[in-house]
Amino acid sequence: MSSQTEQESELAQLIVESLNLEDVEAGDIEPEALLFGDGLGLDSIDALEIALAISQKYGVQLKSEDEHMKETFRTLRSLNEFIQTNSTLARA
Amino acid sequence: MHAASTLVNREPDQLIAWAQAGPLSVTQFTRAVRHAAEQLHDRKFVFNLYANPVDYLLGFCASTLAGQCTLMPPNRLQKTLDDIRSDYPDSYFLGPEGSGGLDIRDCLTGADEPGIGGLDLPPIPDTQLTAIAFTSGSTGSPSPNLKYWRTLREGTLSNVAMMLRGIEGPVNMVSTVPPQHMWGLENSVLLPLFSDTSIAYQSPFYPQDLKDALQSFPAPRVLVSTPVHLATIAGSGLDFEPVKRVLCATAPLSLSLATAVESLFGGELLEVFGCTESGIIASRFRTREEEWTLADAFSLDVHSGHSIISAAHLPDEVRLQDIVEKTADQRFRWLGRHQDLVNIAGKRGSLVDLNRRLESIPGVVDGVMFFPTDEHKRLAALVVAPELGPADIREALRRQVEPAFLPRPIVKVDHLPRSATGKLTRKALLDLFERVKPGAGALP
Repeated sequence: MSSQTEQESELAQLIVESLNLEDVEAGDIEPEALLFGDGLGLDSIDALEIALAISQKYGVQLKSEDEHMKETFRTLRSLNEFIQTNSTLARA
Repeated sequence: MHAASTLVNREPDQLIAWAQAGPLSVTQFTRAVRHAAEQLHDRKFVFNLYANPVDYLLGFCASTLAGQCTLMPPNRLQKTLDDIRSDYPDSYFLGPEGSGGLDIRDCLTGADEPGIGGLDLPPIPDTQLTAIAFTSGSTGSPSPNLKYWRTLREGTLSNVAMMLRGIEGPVNMVSTVPPQHMWGLENSVLLPLFSDTSIAYQSPFYPQDLKDALQSFPAPRVLVSTPVHLATIAGSGLDFEPVKRVLCATAPLSLSLATAVESLFGGELLEVFGCTESGIIASRFRTREEEWTLADAFSLDVHSGHSIISAAHLPDEVRLQDIVEKTADQRFRWLGRHQDLVNIAGKRGSLVDLNRRLESIPGVVDGVMFFPTDEHKRLAALVVAPELGPADIREALRRQVEPAFLPRPIVKVDHLPRSATGKLTRKALLDLFERVKPGAGALP
C-alpha cells in the first residue's frame, strides 16, 4: 500500500467531488488501484465527467485516440502523471 | 407484392465516407460491399463489433446483401452477448483483428480493382429481416425489436427529410454515438445509404477527439451526439470548426445547454425524438421551439392517456412510453415520461423494478431510487437500512442491475417521508435529499 502524494490527493478529491462518490473517501483511493471495472467501478459516463473536471481544473484535454489513454486512465497515479506532464495550469 | 429496393441509393461519384485511408466514393464502397459479402460465414445472424462507423457500415451492407440479419446488443458486456447468442445460435461475429470476429476491412482497400460491378447490387426485399435491436430492461435481460428492410429504408427517408432539411450540398457527418446503438445506426449507417452524406471514420469520445475529427473533413458538417457528450464538449473550453447542424437524442436536453452548443458551433441544434420501437418520429429546434413536429410519415393518436404512433412502414402500432399532448396536426408537446420509466445512457429501465430489487436486499427496510436533478444523468437512492453501509447496498445491487442504473449517491436515512397512504411525492423526496445528501452539512 503506497500513500498518495499531495498532487494525487488533490486529484482524488476532484474525482470524488465531481462524481459524487459519497461512500469513498478521497484519501482511501489507492494510487495504484484500478479506477474502472473491478477497482473503483467507474464507467464511461464517469470518464466524461472526469475529463471535463480535469480540463477545467488543469487545462488538460484527454484523447481516446492516444494509444496510451487506456494506461493513463488505469490508476490515480497514472492519471496524475499524465496531467502533470501535460498541464499548463498545474503548479509544479 | 414482393417489393424490393436498392441497398445504396446514391450517385456513383458521390462520397459515402471519410475513411481512415481517405475519401471513399459510392462506387468504391459498393464494390467493397460485394466483395465482402462473398467472404461472410454462411449464417443467418451476425454481431457487428466494429466501432469505426465506416467498417460498421461495410459490415452492415455486406451482411444485408447476403440476406443476414444484424443483431444489435444493448451493450458490449460479455454476458449480454452470451445471452443473445444462446437465443440466436445460428450467428457469428464480424469485427477488427483481436475482437475474435471475421475481419472484412481489407475489402475497403481493394475497392479500386476493376471488374466487379459496383452500384449494380441486387435489390433487398422489403420483407427482409435486416436488424434486431435489443433494448435492455433494468435487469439487463434484452428484448428484441425486429427491423425489416422496408421499415429501415422508409424510416431513413423520413429522417433525411427531417434531420438534413435545409442543408445545401453534400453533408459530412461525425457521430459520438457508436453505430451499434440504434441512434447511431439511424444516422451514421443509414443516412449515407439514402442521402448525399459521408460518414467520418472517427467515433469521438473526449472533446479533443471531436476537435480533431472535425478538422479532418470539410464543411458543411453535421454532428450527431447526446446530451451527456454535448455537456462535456460545451464545458471543455475548446473551440471547434463550425458545425452546420447538431443532432441530439436519447435524453432530455436543457435549453441552456442547447444555447451553449449553438454558440460554440455557430450552427443549429435539432433535438430528435424517438424510441427503438418506432425509430425517429419528431424533432424541434431546441432554442426556438417548445413543441415537437411529427414527421409526415407518422401519425399520432392520444387517447385515455396513451400516445400511439402509427406509420405505413411500421409493422405494428407503437405505444410511446411518454406522455404527450397534441397541439395541432403533426405537432405535440412533451409532458413527461410515464413515472415508472427511466432512460440512462440509452438504456431503459423500470423504477418499480429497480426499487423492488433495492427493497429485496436483506437488511434494507425501505428504500427508493429517483433522479435528483432534471438532467437525469444518475439515479440517487435514499435507504433505510440500520445494519448496512452504502457500499454493502451498492455491492448487492451491482450483482442484479446494469451499471448505468446503480444509484449514486446512496444515502442512509432513518425513514422515508411517506404519506399516510404510504406514497412518496417527488417534492418530499427532494426536500429530504437536499438535507441529507453528501456535502449538505447537516447530517441527521
